[in-house]
Amino acid sequence: MKFLLKQKEFSVLAIVVIISIILSFVSPVFLTVENWLDIIEGNAVIGILAIGMTLIIITSDIDVSVAALTTAVTVSIGYLFQFLPDSWISVVLIFLIAPLIGILLGSFNGLLVSKIKIPAIVVTLGTLNIFSGLVLYITNGNYINSTNFPDSFMAFSNIEIAGIPILIYLFALVAAGTWFILKYTLIGRSVLAIGGNAQSSVRVGINFEKVKMFVFSYMGFLAGIAAIAQTSYTSAIDPNGLAGLELTVIAAVVLGGANIHGGRGSIPGTLLGVLLLAIMQNGMILARIDTFWQNVVTGAIIVIAVSYDEINHRRNQEKLSNIDVKEAS
Amino acid sequence: MKKLWLSLTVVIVGLILLTGCVSEQSAGSGDSGEGGGTGSEETSGNSEEGNSGESGSDGGGGVAVVPKLVGIPYFNASETGAEQAGEDLGVNVEYTGPTEADAAAQVKVIEDLISQGMDTIAVAPNDPASVEPVLKKAKEEGINVMDWDTPADKELVDLSIKQVDDEEFGRHMAEKLVEAMGTEEGKIAILTGGLSAANLNLWIDAAKSELEENYPDIEIVSDKIPTEEKQQVAYQKTLDLLKSYPELDGVLAVSTPAPLGAAQAVQEEGLQDEVSVVGSALPTDSEPFLEDGSLDTAVLWNPEKLGYLTVALGKMLAEGEMPEDGQEIENVGEITVKDDGKTVIMGPPQDYTKENASDFDF
Repeated sequence: MKFLLKQKEFSVLAIVVIISIILSFVSPVFLTVENWLDIIEGNAVIGILAIGMTLIIITSDIDVSVAALTTAVTVSIGYLFQFLPDSWISVVLIFLIAPLIGILLGSFNGLLVSKIKIPAIVVTLGTLNIFSGLVLYITNGNYINSTNFPDSFMAFSNIEIAGIPILIYLFALVAAGTWFILKYTLIGRSVLAIGGNAQSSVRVGINFEKVKMFVFSYMGFLAGIAAIAQTSYTSAIDPNGLAGLELTVIAAVVLGGANIHGGRGSIPGTLLGVLLLAIMQNGMILARIDTFWQNVVTGAIIVIAVSYDEINHRRNQEKLSNIDVKEAS
Repeated sequence: MKKLWLSLTVVIVGLILLTGCVSEQSAGSGDSGEGGGTGSEETSGNSEEGNSGESGSDGGGGVAVVPKLVGIPYFNASETGAEQAGEDLGVNVEYTGPTEADAAAQVKVIEDLISQGMDTIAVAPNDPASVEPVLKKAKEEGINVMDWDTPADKELVDLSIKQVDDEEFGRHMAEKLVEAMGTEEGKIAILTGGLSAANLNLWIDAAKSELEENYPDIEIVSDKIPTEEKQQVAYQKTLDLLKSYPELDGVLAVSTPAPLGAAQAVQEEGLQDEVSVVGSALPTDSEPFLEDGSLDTAVLWNPEKLGYLTVALGKMLAEGEMPEDGQEIENVGEITVKDDGKTVIMGPPQDYTKENASDFDF
């Protein structure tokens, strides 16, 4: 129990558990497997993006172009659909090409941040406009519905293994993979080190530019995956469908205990942050809360969660002597 | 020294790029200006006044149509109609707007149009209050000012074009929903684009009063539910609704992405026969849902015709005429003019169903 209490994800977990208990009393539907699968599937896109954002926020940067980047890949997928044959090869090709486009766009961000050393918020604000402007120019905002999709892709989106939709597996794979990278690989540890203290980490020989390049390219890679998830989830391509999503993504990461100033953040924490936002959205209708109160309740829970986490964190900090590299996940 | 040269080159290249953009734009407007010579001749007084602000361009004159934003299917369709009207009536049409539904950006667009010396400016304001000063300025310059799609300040405009009567539209959607449900008692939910959208609220209120007055046994299970103008949000919320209210019979979805999301949820749960969905959506977007009955009827107006009507009336206004009640506008149909003499209603709402959805290309 003491071990659990010491975990920094504990505060978010506690709030998730409390809300879940309340909701399951209010609505009998809340605690059903079907509902939870819906919640997780519906938030797979936000989740995948939030995982990528966690790495960026750990290195004390931010990427506000994620939603635009994902939309750009989504639109590219829609364009590719016109040429792809209706077979399983198309699905495989999409899984190769979409992340590749994502990496290309993401590394563009990375290049500007690491080589030219422009603050990430400025770079990504710029690329946000570049990406969404280009998308608007190319698509003219036209919505593409599923009649133009290859049947094989539609079949892929409907796959269920053991009753669990494929998107959830994809999400789980991304989460587990990134957790592994962060915990067990050199580049993952470098990410944490740079976030903890950039200067000392460079002194120990960590290549600062390479790490920055990595986090932004990886974000691009995950945006590519998220684009596939989004396309198969909505069975449509809407150039305006993700507008403003970057704020939700960043909110989920911060709720999950990541520190905007860098050095602190973990994959399990981010997953809990996504889950917290998700069950609040879901629970509002299930609990039949009046529409106009929903925003108030959502806002209040976010404020409570973040302040609880901050107080906890500060208390822990006082007990510790200052250590530059903090242990994560 | 090297640095100085580098920065100089950057600045010069930047300037060249910028001027490149500018000259392309003015060349474009000049081209269309030539096409619309007849429109501007009759009202040369106005265009001269406006042209003095611009350096010797022969553009300007004609009708400017400003949408809330460019690059969404709805406003693309009205652009097609507006340009068609320009060709048919021989009037210069300038269809331009901000790339986001942003009030400040829209004001800038209107400022530019004023200095281009248009005869008529028709605006679909993102925020009626924030376009007020710039519309006043346009009027002072002798430009005819009208609104279309969304009303601006009534005192300010010479003409106000509405696609449908809000009251009629809301009531019509409610009727269609009851018709699709096939029963006059049951439970329904209402999805909306956003809680603060004035026109959506008007439709919902009209739909509610229609239900109250004529179908008192229909119960609305919850307050209107916002969907952020996004299909996936409407989809998730409808899934939640279906779980929370298993006895639900119908969903009324206003704002164009909302019916698609609601229909997608119904489709996925295989509830096409149990839950009816009616809402405001464009026909090509809703086709896959109309086909299998997950969306029963999409109700909207014809945005192409709306663009056409805007230009046609804009031209009339520039020629000093006012439309009359019951007047027949070619390619649009009979229009209604309200008692105030300047509110024009394009016509009754149009239903898009399984049978006719494939006939439209917007």
